[in-house]
Amino acid sequence: MDSVIKACVVYFVLWAIIRISGRRTLGEMTAFDFILFLIIGGSTQRAITGEDYSLTNALILVATFVGIEVTLSFIELKSPMLRRVLNSSPTLLVENGSPMRYRMRRARVTEDNILEAARRLHGLERMDQIKFAILEPTGKITIVPMS
Amino acid sequence: MDELASRQYPVQEHMAFQRRMWIVQRIGWVMLGVISLAALFGLFGYGVLSKRTATGAEMSVEYERFERATRLASFVFRFAASANAERRLHLNRAFQEGFEISSIQPPPLRSSVDADGIDLTFAVTPSVANQIVIWARPHRYGTVGIDARVDDTPPVELRVFIYP
Repeated sequence: MDSVIKACVVYFVLWAIIRISGRRTLGEMTAFDFILFLIIGGSTQRAITGEDYSLTNALILVATFVGIEVTLSFIELKSPMLRRVLNSSPTLLVENGSPMRYRMRRARVTEDNILEAARRLHGLERMDQIKFAILEPTGKITIVPMS
Repeated sequence: MDELASRQYPVQEHMAFQRRMWIVQRIGWVMLGVISLAALFGLFGYGVLSKRTATGAEMSVEYERFERATRLASFVFRFAASANAERRLHLNRAFQEGFEISSIQPPPLRSSVDADGIDLTFAVTPSVANQIVIWARPHRYGTVGIDARVDDTPPVELRVFIYP
């Protein structure tokens, strides 16, 4: 019984902390972010399994985690509001070549981050070549070039 | 350019919601900081807020007010000097049910059980203060009210909160 409760608590606490930290953290993963996620994984794993290394416990945990995922995906289908709460929504950062500074500051994205995405995705060099830059719910920056 | 207005093109935006999320995020960062600070000062055990000494007529006990489940906890019992060569420490059932004893230093001469807990009898040096340490792992969540008694003196009460 307590494995299921522990798995639920860990799922929602981790979700809340990662959501609070902001989507930048997840999307553009640096080497340090990778280490951070390893540490988060390692320390929570022991809290969930405790001293119970049985196959039964492992199965219960996997079933619970997948169950939460499936349930949440159904809830997201039904309620767009909850989808935004769970996953955030896309935000425009550059419109017709002009960067939206207030939004960039709030989302903690710099002009350099946007130009880097523009170079990588479309080989663009300057801000005025970008029609739209969008910060996606996944944390990635999408670039639509000027036509 | 109104940055606060929601665009419909190229993506459907929800700026009112997005701004609320940004505020929630900032509140969240403060809370993460508060949690770290509280942990530093021992609100989750092992710090100035957690350390306690309970004192009775014949004994004082050093322990942590906050413990965490499965983490090894220590209870230091200091018996006042007496003429006896043996002293009996009684711990109530709440201790027996909440903690799994890992080791007792020094080991007791005898241990026995009665209606409301366990009795541990130790060989002590007469007319000097003696110290016993019990290392134990908490296995229950929430508040545990431990009564510790040496021989037939009134009990010393230890209230320990155990985090999951």
